[in-house]
Amino acid sequence: MVFSSLTFLYFFLPVVIISYMLVPKKIKNVILFVSGLLFYAWGEPTYIWVMIVSAFVDFAAGIIMGRTEKKSTRRMALIFSMIVDLGFLFVFKYSGFVVGVINSVFGTSITEPDLPLPIGISFYTFQSMSYTIDVYLGKVKVQKNFINYLTYVSLFPQLVAGPIVRYDEVADEIDERTVNVDNVSEGIGTFVKGLAKKVLLANNIGMLWTQVKAMDYSELSVLTAWLGILAFTFQIYFDFSGYSDMAKGLGKIFGFNFPINFDHPYQSRSISEFWRRWHITLGSWFRNYLYIPLGGNRNGKLKTYRNLAIVWLLTGFWHGASFNFILWGAFYGVLIIIERLGFSKVLEKLPVAVSTAYTFLMVVIGWVMFDIETLPGVFSYLKAMFAGNGLTDSFGLYQLSSYGVMFVLCIFASTDIFTKLTTRLSSGKASAVYYYSLPVVQLLLILLSTCYLVDATYNPFLYFRF
Amino acid sequence: MKRIQKRITTIMFFVTLMMLPLITLFSEKKDFSELENRPLQKSPAFSFDDWFDKSFMSEFESFVSDHFTGRAKWINVKINSELMTGKNEINGIYITDERLIEKIPEPEYEAVDRSIEAINKLAETTETPVYVMIAPTSAGVYTDTLPKNAPQLDQQEVIEHIYGGFNSKVSSIDVFDILNASKEDYIYYRTDHHWTSLGAYVAYSTAISKLGFTSIPYSKYDVEHASSDFLGTYYSKTLYDSVQSDTIDIYSNKDGGSVVSCTINNGLEEKTYDSIYFREFLETKDKYSTYLGTNQPVINIKTNLQSDKKILIFKDSYANSFIPFLTQHYNEITALDMRYINNFREYALPEDYTHILFLYNCTTFASDDNIKKIAY
Repeated sequence: MVFSSLTFLYFFLPVVIISYMLVPKKIKNVILFVSGLLFYAWGEPTYIWVMIVSAFVDFAAGIIMGRTEKKSTRRMALIFSMIVDLGFLFVFKYSGFVVGVINSVFGTSITEPDLPLPIGISFYTFQSMSYTIDVYLGKVKVQKNFINYLTYVSLFPQLVAGPIVRYDEVADEIDERTVNVDNVSEGIGTFVKGLAKKVLLANNIGMLWTQVKAMDYSELSVLTAWLGILAFTFQIYFDFSGYSDMAKGLGKIFGFNFPINFDHPYQSRSISEFWRRWHITLGSWFRNYLYIPLGGNRNGKLKTYRNLAIVWLLTGFWHGASFNFILWGAFYGVLIIIERLGFSKVLEKLPVAVSTAYTFLMVVIGWVMFDIETLPGVFSYLKAMFAGNGLTDSFGLYQLSSYGVMFVLCIFASTDIFTKLTTRLSSGKASAVYYYSLPVVQLLLILLSTCYLVDATYNPFLYFRF
Repeated sequence: MKRIQKRITTIMFFVTLMMLPLITLFSEKKDFSELENRPLQKSPAFSFDDWFDKSFMSEFESFVSDHFTGRAKWINVKINSELMTGKNEINGIYITDERLIEKIPEPEYEAVDRSIEAINKLAETTETPVYVMIAPTSAGVYTDTLPKNAPQLDQQEVIEHIYGGFNSKVSSIDVFDILNASKEDYIYYRTDHHWTSLGAYVAYSTAISKLGFTSIPYSKYDVEHASSDFLGTYYSKTLYDSVQSDTIDIYSNKDGGSVVSCTINNGLEEKTYDSIYFREFLETKDKYSTYLGTNQPVINIKTNLQSDKKILIFKDSYANSFIPFLTQHYNEITALDMRYINNFREYALPEDYTHILFLYNCTTFASDDNIKKIAY
């Protein structure tokens, strides 16, 4: 199930929230884990067993590690659980790609395993691994109740598209949390903001990219190519950050505090800063569980660059099993190493407008590699952007007039102007007006989003490959 | 006041999230949407097979969206907000102040050429003269009223391509210019993909002289406005209700010939009626079917004219409002819709007719792959 659907919003959600509020504290986790499984099974009725098995293995590994101080046993338990987790991830997500590569390199004809990718497998595998690794390192207490552990893994707000919530971030709240009107109303505000971002901004601007993406790239004018990829730039941001907002808001309604996942990334002044603001929980996962264990930046420059290269190739590959994602990851690896080599000092001295424009330009180029699946496609699209078939054409001009207002809205909404404005309004003299109009604005956003969901001709789920 | 805001937000959210599904659940469910002209999703029955192949989920989701309370109103708000942001294209329909205009895709010329070949072949194998009339749709005539730079097919070009492909046995009847010249008149419906009776009359006046008759002057006709609240297929695709609804006109000529019988074969059985107008459709959404009913494989019309002229028409629904004008000239009219027929000779032989006419609108001719069956 996806959040941005009538079924979720008007059937699943009210039933879950009301039963959650009505039952006594002890049973709240049961409601959450049952609804988590139902939510997951709605989109993945068959491969739900993968999630349950991997959760059980990680839970059991935790129990074993909790019972013994013996290092070798603890290590065995951790390694076994990681083999299972990463094994599932490899088999379902990467085996087809690897077999394809082997076949084309060695000329063999091994049948590609035609396995579907279980929804959210990359997200829940990473979440669940954060638990076993941290138990091994002694950073978190062992969870002794399987229901509670399954509640963590199958917590539906963040199950299919993040944020990647590390176990230690919610460990206390899994066992003990408060549900009150402060949390609920704040959660509603965040949820509605996310819903509007996804349904009103991402879906609408995304329709332009769908059209351009399907065209013949050798015929695109420069204008059309830029409009298309800028549309995707905003679509992926509002879709993804909207999803994260909805997750964070729902978590808050149930009493959880999920970490922030996006912080106005398109305002960044360097690529390193961009990745501190974009999909923050993924970056911090790779930092905690890969970059630092590899030695981070403590073993000399050369090893630092090696570690960065590994992290960025895998970050790219995490987004999907195909070459364009590896290229995308490598692109960022190179940009970040260049910044480490001293370019970041240059960026700091440049005027804000220039360094922001540089970063944004690189990010936009990155999205070309991200969303066009074939490498020749990527290159011919990049060619169209910088040396297209004419500067403008009637298609591009028409789309500009059709989507111009949407673009302005998207640009406005991706900066922090809005956040600053609301902060000022809520503390200034007119704060009464602000607080009274807030519910009205929220209601209007829900109703307007509902209009777009009732007539949902275009409402994609972008993370099926993650 | 922050405390009050928190309460209001919470109450507002839960009331909205509970009221809309409750109203939806307890409202009456229909099987067919007249407005959108399509069957609606029925309440899905649960079974494990449907659960595991996910058809239960997709049916449930269509059920919710099809029956969501006040569906048409929600959609209308959506369209109006899209128009406010500068978009003017909804579900493949351009929205202009005056009318709804379809966005026509580029035709597949290979399929078009197969239809052309089939017509050439038929013309070579019969003595009966063959005529072809391809009518532009409103999208072809009102291209200039579209938003600037909006992509649109040039129908005149397509029609010229079709006419250019015929051999000397086939006579083409060009009605683009006359229709284009009459575009200030009410020749196309504003909310439907058909031409109006007036549009059909304009084309008729050109066509009939090609067929060797003198056209009946417009002044001879009494025009009855049978209905003025027709909302057609373009409306169904968009549910945009700010374009004025359409009028169904019925033309009659007191001094002329009249229909004796109209026999309709729906592929299973034949029924004979004494009129070519089916006024019961005036009470339904599908008001254009007042003309000769819904699309049927074979229609045979006999008139009281003392004439031996007979015409065989291969057609789409554009002919349905055109045929009434032919009843003033022919003793017998046979209309075949190749979409529902494989071997037309089971119903009519070319040699039995004075004229053979192909009457299609440009988009059907360019997209319908059934015309080639006449050559079999």
